Amino acid sequence: MNRSVAIVGMGGVFPTCSSLENFADKLFTNQSLIRRWEEAASFGKQMRSHVSGFVTLEEAGLYAQWSKNAPQYPETYLDHKERIPYEHLATADIGSIWAMLSGIDAIKMCGWEQSEVESVRTGVTIGSGGGGHSILRPSWHSFFNDGRKSRSLGSHGVDRAMAYRDAANVACLLKTKGVCEAVGSACATGLSNIGHAYRLIKFGLQDRMLAGGVEGTSIETFVGFDAMTVLSRGYEPEKSSRPFDKNRNGFVCSFGGAVVALEELEHAKARGANIIAVIDGYHNNADGDGDMFAPSYDGQKRLWQGLKGEVPGLKPDVVKAHGTSTPAGDSIELFSIISELGAEGYHISAPKSQFGHMLGAAGSVELVASLLMLQQQTVSPCLNTDELNDGKEWIQEQPGWAGTEKPVAAFRHLLPSQALQKEINQIVSLNYGFGGTNAAISISRYGK
Amino acid sequence: MTRQDVLDGIIKILKDVKTVDQEALKNITEDSDFIMDLGLPSTELINVIANAEDEFGLEFDDDDVDALDSKVKATIDLVMGTQQKSNES
Repeated sequence: MNRSVAIVGMGGVFPTCSSLENFADKLFTNQSLIRRWEEAASFGKQMRSHVSGFVTLEEAGLYAQWSKNAPQYPETYLDHKERIPYEHLATADIGSIWAMLSGIDAIKMCGWEQSEVESVRTGVTIGSGGGGHSILRPSWHSFFNDGRKSRSLGSHGVDRAMAYRDAANVACLLKTKGVCEAVGSACATGLSNIGHAYRLIKFGLQDRMLAGGVEGTSIETFVGFDAMTVLSRGYEPEKSSRPFDKNRNGFVCSFGGAVVALEELEHAKARGANIIAVIDGYHNNADGDGDMFAPSYDGQKRLWQGLKGEVPGLKPDVVKAHGTSTPAGDSIELFSIISELGAEGYHISAPKSQFGHMLGAAGSVELVASLLMLQQQTVSPCLNTDELNDGKEWIQEQPGWAGTEKPVAAFRHLLPSQALQKEINQIVSLNYGFGGTNAAISISRYGK
Repeated sequence: MTRQDVLDGIIKILKDVKTVDQEALKNITEDSDFIMDLGLPSTELINVIANAEDEFGLEFDDDDVDALDSKVKATIDLVMGTQQKSNES
């Protein structure tokens, strides 16, 4: 069986953006989607970081109907624009609503007929990095703090917070009849779900998939990372995320979501679909070094070698890096890329420099950014790479270091700090997550 | 509190439930069925009951809630019965 997989549609919810087109415009005009987050700032000294790439209810065209039983509990969200019927809003947290909106937009773009959407050959794999914290925290209050009966939580605490709520809500809304599940792999979740969907089509189990990741705006998620002191601090919001810059000091915790529509290539060709890209291959692995948090040079090298095995002749014009803006992560990633690709013939894009780290949504939103790069033949920038380290990075001083001895500054030519127009035929997109999980996908322009 | 007071309270709760047929709600009587006549999804019924506890300042017994059917009359009976028990104790 020799089946190829095309990407035929995409949709998403992005901070400060009114549409996919608006998102693309901001990406390629070097704008930042990061701003001060008043909700985080309202906690004053309790909260270390006050910046985020977040999406408000109003920006997504939504509003909350607040519970009378539980303080600050959104009993349900309502849709100003009536895009989603109420019974499907009732079972959804914010991230699941974004997944549904993204799925609707992806289908609109790809043009699947209703019979194709509702087919046993159409599936959904969409996940989130976090749990349904923003639903659970206020809903639990009336039970645990006020001693109220369990029914005071309402009947949607389970469906709005379960691990695969995003996939479940999209499948219920669209009535797909194929696979419906979520892959969880922390900050690789978005790409893992797309990679899993790719394999389901590639291996002949499905013909069409809606796949991606979302991370609904959640102060509960934010505070967890704030507690770890891994978030950027001390910069103006738009300067806070600075992957590869010498003075980077942490990531910006952000929120958003995106879903792509995948289709078996011959099916897509037969119906005259607009093929945005073809997936050349996907590989994922784990570091295997026993470390929950630290990135692994060896793990990332094995990731590249696995991808090369799946994509003979791999020669990307752009590497869309995970590039979180953490001191530990960026240098290891840069050095593993150089180790496998050399130091010429491609550029590195770091979309987190513009919108921060969307956690479980990062992989899908950044794949959408990669698709936009293919469409617009423009590399999105590594914003804020103002100064590159001309000394040794911490990893280069570790005993047994086997990578390059050159400083990050020697690779300035790979790291455009502004959007860059050039011919782009192939892009590799990388994402990693806590637990040492790594994922890589290669996409190409169709026919190139 | 009269049965009409309870019905009015239930109408107030149902006005906030978007799946309820608001036209049908204008014609609600004790004989109406939340699910069949008003379009309330069965999963929302318990939310109406929990809101009724708040609305009338009562706490229903679990056995009584378990025994409820989806008729409006049954919920009014529950509120009136619980109120009476509360007054007696």
